[in-house]
Amino acid sequence: MPWISKNSAGNAVEKRAEPYLTPQMRSHLSQHIVPRYEQKMGALLPCLHEIQHAYGWIPGQAMLEIAEFLAIKPAEVIDTASFYEEYWLKRKGKHLVSVCRSIACEFCGQPGITQAVKDALGIDVGETTDDNEFTLIELECLGSCGSAPAILIDETLHENVKPEQIAGLLDAARKAGAHH
Amino acid sequence: MPFPPINPNLSGPVLTQRIPCWPYADPKGRHIVSYEEYTRPGPHGAGYESLRKAIGMKPDAVTEEVKKSVLRGRGGAGFPTGLKWTFLPKLKTSEAGQEDDPGQRYLAINADESEPGTFKDRLLMDFDPHLMLEGIAICCYACRIKTAYIFIRGEYHHQAKVLENALREAYANGIFGGNGLLNGANTARGGAFKVDCYVHRGAGAYICGEETGLLEALEGKRGWPRIKPPFPAIKGLFGKPTIINNVETLAHLPSIIHHGAEWFMKQGKVSTFPNTPPSHGTKLMGVSGHVNRPGVFELELGITLRQLIEDPGLCAGMRNGKKFKGAIAGGISMGILGPDQMDAEMDFDIGRKNNVLGLGTACPTVFDEDTDMVAVARNIARFFKHESCGQCTPCREGSGWLYQLLTRIEGGDGRTKDLDLALEIATSMGSMPGTTICGLADGNNWAVRTIMNKYRSEFEKRVKPTSVAVKMTVGAGAR
Ligand SMILES: Cc1cc2nc3c(=O)[nH]c(=O)nc-3n(C[C@H](O)[C@H](O)[C@H](O)COP(=O)(O)O)c2cc1C
Ligand code: SF4
Ligand code: FES
Repeated sequence: MPWISKNSAGNAVEKRAEPYLTPQMRSHLSQHIVPRYEQKMGALLPCLHEIQHAYGWIPGQAMLEIAEFLAIKPAEVIDTASFYEEYWLKRKGKHLVSVCRSIACEFCGQPGITQAVKDALGIDVGETTDDNEFTLIELECLGSCGSAPAILIDETLHENVKPEQIAGLLDAARKAGAHH
Repeated sequence: MPFPPINPNLSGPVLTQRIPCWPYADPKGRHIVSYEEYTRPGPHGAGYESLRKAIGMKPDAVTEEVKKSVLRGRGGAGFPTGLKWTFLPKLKTSEAGQEDDPGQRYLAINADESEPGTFKDRLLMDFDPHLMLEGIAICCYACRIKTAYIFIRGEYHHQAKVLENALREAYANGIFGGNGLLNGANTARGGAFKVDCYVHRGAGAYICGEETGLLEALEGKRGWPRIKPPFPAIKGLFGKPTIINNVETLAHLPSIIHHGAEWFMKQGKVSTFPNTPPSHGTKLMGVSGHVNRPGVFELELGITLRQLIEDPGLCAGMRNGKKFKGAIAGGISMGILGPDQMDAEMDFDIGRKNNVLGLGTACPTVFDEDTDMVAVARNIARFFKHESCGQCTPCREGSGWLYQLLTRIEGGDGRTKDLDLALEIATSMGSMPGTTICGLADGNNWAVRTIMNKYRSEFEKRVKPTSVAVKMTVGAGAR
């Protein structure tokens, strides 16, 4: 089974001294979010969002902390976290460029948009630039089909995008600083 | 021949009364409607006054009114909304007329909107969030539900913020929380009725739009659809009775309660099939693709696709004067309307009349004569392969297989036999053939099958006779 890497079973979770789930996050979550749900595990997606938003990815240690916080098994956290695409279980670049590749976008010019991003950043889809600034992905319909093609840079949507605008949009994101 | 008038039974828009849309107003004038603006009087009553009217009625009378209107779900399946509500467990009423405590029940609002080609719920959440909040409050009262979760897709960052703000306004004005609906006003049910409403963000998984996948995601689990029965109305979120409704469905409730069911039943049309529910009311139709003016239009059900595309008040014709080649019926899962099906009527009978799966989200993606239909099929197959949750073998394996076959055909390395094979795979997957748990596989089935059948010659031109050796692209080397 080539897809199971040799060390995966024995891999230790990388640890650091300070927690990812900060005391402020814990108090916000336990006061405002956890009580919304009949069972604590209902708050799992919100907890993962909190970590993803703060760090740009979800480290193993954070998942262990969430498991302890919600009194569930680490395996339950990983099961859920690994199912949803928006959660990054590996580091990505500071900025995420997501190009919609679904039906309206592909047939209204998306291939040219993906190409323009690739050219501007010198990476392929799924890769991160060497300076760790940008990761490029393609994803499915962003709900902007009437203004296709659409791309999401971090949390900002751009519609009716033209290839010549790409360099400018990337520059603006770079200047705006880290944003998960 | 000129087209019939747009929305012949209405003097103006209903769902989009505060959101400028063609042909009524220029979308440039759109803005987020605040609580204050929402509560001003309008042609369909002042905001939250329908809620006031509703709580002055017995909950079952509200349900009865919705049932009578035959409002059908706007999320894709078209199930009659009032009827769905009656599937909740019945409550006993004491001699004194006091109803039993309903216990914990939930409303899950489906704002996952991830069906490719679909961008209509977003319009309501972008600009007039209180309309759906009022619908939520009315539904909760009618169904005696105390907690509602708006499940919104993760990519709708902006819309989630708009909703959070609107909810803050609604809480501050005593709609939700506090002492009960409308600042603890006395209801016809007896006493106040308190409802809480929360936003719950998804995280990038189309399958969470399927109603039971959505419930799993609300419980913090992976979005694997559940086997039904039990149906959610009996055993849903956290095992409690649960109603799931689409954003647009709920947004229809305030005007139905304000004007009454008869008003709603004058719009749209009745079915031409015996014993089939009608298609009443307006529908948000989002048109994308190769038309001059794509966008969301609010139209009475039954308008033809031709009028939608060609009417100067709507999409104003095909882009660059090109010819119409086909249109996805309403979200890619529904399959395709071919070149000779432009006169299809956009209502809930569209499936039976035009050999597509159904009306779906009523959001057609239109293709012009230059479009490569093999590429369209490949794009759609890739979507389903990517979004299959993997529980059912025919869907998990079939979707990957179809995508690889179509990639191969698109690249010119397909063989004649591949066409039959692709159709065989497509036909065998889905909850309707009875081989899978949810309808995602049916969408894949219908999309691929209708495209291959309606544009067969394009596929045939791309493949080589079966005796010719071709490059194999299946496995690790496949795209
Ligand atoms: C694969 C799949 C995806 C779906 N996605 C959505 C969606 O994004 N939004 C939605 O409202 N309904 C979606 N549905 C339909 C829901 O399962 C359900 O029928 C609907 O939310 C019920 O609400 P309604 O009766 O108000 O339409 C989907 C169904 C399937 C099978
Ligand atoms: S049909 Fe497909 S998406 Fe639906 S439950 Fe089965 S595997 Fe998952
Ligand atoms: S297809 Fe790209 S936004 Fe819908």
